[in-house]
Amino acid sequence: MPSKSRREFVKKATGFIGVSTLASTHAHALSLTNPGRDAKDARYVGQEGKRFGMVIDLRKCVGCQACTSACKSENKVPKEKFRTYVPEYELGSYPNVRKAFLPQLCNHCAEPSCVSVCPTGATFARKDGIVVVDNEICWGCGYCINACPYDKRYFNPISNVADKCTLCAHRVDHGLLPACVESCVGGARVFGDLNDPASHASRLLATFPATVLKPASGTKPRVFYIALSGEIQSLPYSNGILDDAVRKREGALHKEWSSKGE
Amino acid sequence: MDFGSLLHTISSITPDRPWGIDIPNYFWFTGSSAAAFIISSFAHVFGMKEYKPIAGFSLLLAFVLLVAAPMNLIDDLRQPGRIINFFFYGWENFPTSPMKWGVLLLMAYPLLILAEAIVLYRPYFTMKKGVVYTKEQEEKDHRLGVLLGAIGIPLALSVHGYTGYILGAVHAIPLFHTPIMPILFLASAMVSGTGLLIILLPIFQKFFTDFKRIDYAMMQRLARLLAWFIVIDLVIRFFWLTFAITFNNEEKYALKLFFGENFWEVLIVDYVICLFVPMAIGFIRFFSRSLKWVLFAGVLSAIGVWIFRWNTVIGGQSIGKTTPFLLEYHPHVFGFDSILSVVSNWSLLIALIAAIMALFPWDKEMANYYTKEQ
Repeated sequence: MPSKSRREFVKKATGFIGVSTLASTHAHALSLTNPGRDAKDARYVGQEGKRFGMVIDLRKCVGCQACTSACKSENKVPKEKFRTYVPEYELGSYPNVRKAFLPQLCNHCAEPSCVSVCPTGATFARKDGIVVVDNEICWGCGYCINACPYDKRYFNPISNVADKCTLCAHRVDHGLLPACVESCVGGARVFGDLNDPASHASRLLATFPATVLKPASGTKPRVFYIALSGEIQSLPYSNGILDDAVRKREGALHKEWSSKGE
Repeated sequence: MDFGSLLHTISSITPDRPWGIDIPNYFWFTGSSAAAFIISSFAHVFGMKEYKPIAGFSLLLAFVLLVAAPMNLIDDLRQPGRIINFFFYGWENFPTSPMKWGVLLLMAYPLLILAEAIVLYRPYFTMKKGVVYTKEQEEKDHRLGVLLGAIGIPLALSVHGYTGYILGAVHAIPLFHTPIMPILFLASAMVSGTGLLIILLPIFQKFFTDFKRIDYAMMQRLARLLAWFIVIDLVIRFFWLTFAITFNNEEKYALKLFFGENFWEVLIVDYVICLFVPMAIGFIRFFSRSLKWVLFAGVLSAIGVWIFRWNTVIGGQSIGKTTPFLLEYHPHVFGFDSILSVVSNWSLLIALIAAIMALFPWDKEMANYYTKEQ
């Protein structure tokens, strides 16, 4: 019967196409992670056995923004984007006021909320805990940017994908310090292997009480702060301020997303 | 901890916010699709005869909405050419990335609706070809239709419920972070879907059928259904807001700031004008008998749910995580993720509706119920 033979043909042809598609795809085509990790590329694996982190001794930070500019030039961070910066706060009320500086960077969390939501596996934590983005895999959905409680991710306007602090992995893998640490004039930023009890960072953590930003978010940050004021620890929500008005005058409101001036 | 006033002086860094106007529009589309599917299942699966005449029409509407919806997502991607990466990589994140579930649902669901529509309209297609459609075949198709519909209901709920999951999973944003988000999204979806059906049904009945007559009883029924969906939506929103703003941890400060600043848009426009007014129209017979008022209610509720999606997606992202106060969003007019993208998406929807309604004999099927009545 012609109709039956046609059906047979369709069945066989579909089967053949299906099997050959599966067989022809490269072994790495379907991956739990991403091709770089599958290939065990050293840049993706990191330094096994180590756990990098940072201790920021706020008693020594003078708010000079050397780290901000060193990071920008080292990592060629595009205009108006920042991997690290040092916001300045005025605490208390007159006459009992004081300034506080809060250097911020990606916390390279032990439980990174940005990684678990990534639908392409482009962002991941290396074995040494550094959270990175593969900018050739990322499709730029921005889920990780919203998932980060610390606002430490941005869209890189050049690569058009999510970007962030890498703890200067390219330097660290060659035995150098991250640019922000290298340039810190007060020695406030201390980088080190938290798994090594003899590292400077571990010793600081063993000596002084240290804490993290927004501990309630449950991400277990690996950037610790010494002498962090409780007032700014959770980066509290606040009302509009004068600074926003300045930004409005400077024309920031013409951008797609901008701070809302009063 | 609250020590009183706090000033940020050098923090004039505007953090990035990834999702723009496409995303509320996408949520509106998937939501309305799920609702249209559920309404068609009233007749197909639950056997509610009074919804039989619009079951086919709303099934096709569900399909069209869901074909147009993912375009919003593709447009929102910064690297839309890398879609294939989604399918190839990152499967270890499957359990924790609702976006991963979503793309699979977005592919399975429209295929299922299409299959159901083809089964439903098979008698009309075979009639055209001159093949006799036997009683046996009819029964078989009916069973298949019920089965597909029954699979479709959880799928429809998932295809929209997962969008609520996407937001609810983001604990960094206080407005998103609630387990009630999927249910809240489903409830408001039923409102927008019914609203859209109220707008489209009379247009199609009046201008694109042979009987050229609007089913006023059906319009009244839909208005009442809309009113009940609004009641459910309001009840869920009541639980959400009372817990989120009153009994919450420190997230409540962000929410108080947000709702305080957006009081007019949220309470007056969204709740009073776009929910209470259509609800009143649906419940008060004087209004629900009038086609004009019912249409007005449909338009209001459809717009209201769009505003709710906007307030949630854009509003949630406006809350500062490290910066003071709220951010402000100004969508671009042209380019990716712009006002023009949304206009194009709606144009695509209209084109698809026209194409699908021309391909499927929904009017012949619908005419059956009205000619039998006479």
